[in-house]
Amino acid sequence: MEEVTATVVIEGAGVGPEVAEATTAEKKGFKVVVAVDDSEISHYALSWAIDYVLANRREDCQLVVLHVQHFVETFMYPVAGHAVYAPTLSIDAVRKAHEENSKRVISRAVDICKSKHVDALTAVAEGDPKDAICEAAEKLHADLLVVGSRGLGMIKRAFLGSVSDYLAHHAKCPVLIVKPPKGSHK
Amino acid sequence: MAEAKERTGKKRVMVAIEEHECSHYALEWTLLNLKPTISSPLLLITVQPFSPFTYVAAASYSSPPQELIQSMQEHQKQAALTLLEMAKEICAKHGVDVETIMEMGEPKEVICQVAEQQNVELLVMGSHGRGAVERFFLGSVSNYCVQHAKCSVLVVKQDSGKKN
Repeated sequence: MEEVTATVVIEGAGVGPEVAEATTAEKKGFKVVVAVDDSEISHYALSWAIDYVLANRREDCQLVVLHVQHFVETFMYPVAGHAVYAPTLSIDAVRKAHEENSKRVISRAVDICKSKHVDALTAVAEGDPKDAICEAAEKLHADLLVVGSRGLGMIKRAFLGSVSDYLAHHAKCPVLIVKPPKGSHK
Repeated sequence: MAEAKERTGKKRVMVAIEEHECSHYALEWTLLNLKPTISSPLLLITVQPFSPFTYVAAASYSSPPQELIQSMQEHQKQAALTLLEMAKEICAKHGVDVETIMEMGEPKEVICQVAEQQNVELLVMGSHGRGAVERFFLGSVSNYCVQHAKCSVLVVKQDSGKKN
């Protein structure tokens, strides 16, 4: 099992890093961390959380939008029997692509927050999603963690693993798993 | 985006009450933090499992006496009612109207079924915090519901030291 380190970078929406504000315990009343990725369901989960958790208590609550990037590793791939290290250029390219993706996901999430008049902090973590979200939620002293769940079928879930299942049991704080609205799947 | 009628600002919530105090903790947590958006009434469900009777049969080497089964059922029913009463009191303390549902069967399946029948939008459960091995063998109601419920699920762990 490789070492997973989740590095968490927290930024205020659009402004420079404000690490201290996001990690200080109980600066604001109730901290809700929403994990987002590319999927529709995670953005739906964000909307859901804003509508039903933050609701009328905006002043009391602090929303943090969290995105987890996959690790960019230096990988070796065997080519004709010889191990080859991936050239630095391609690693940088991959890293850049990941960052672009992250920015896109975060900015879409921030747009949703803005359209609902919510000030959100953003956070980016790197690593394996399950562990990184758990760790980030802990570092951020989350009072509630929100994730979307696509409702993978039994078999897919067994092979692909499920982030939301993992979080429901391993996260230290309460976990809200948001499912797609009725009628949108099946 | 969802239709306007779904976003009235309140949602139908059901809390699963089980024997462990973690479900009362989950109920309290929900009332403390989500009360404004819970539509009245809050649903409380408790499900009595059928299973205890299997070991009674085994212990008796044959079919157990009718009175024994009946008294066990009564006892279980009483226990379930007590749990519901305690939960109702917690809700009354917070000024929330409740509707209680008592069913018999396999808890995890029944909870999911009822959630669908009742058009529940949020299902709340406590989590025992059992270790991985225990959970594998004994099963976990919250695990099942997270996977199978069609609605959103909130799992509240009873974790000491996590302040609100």
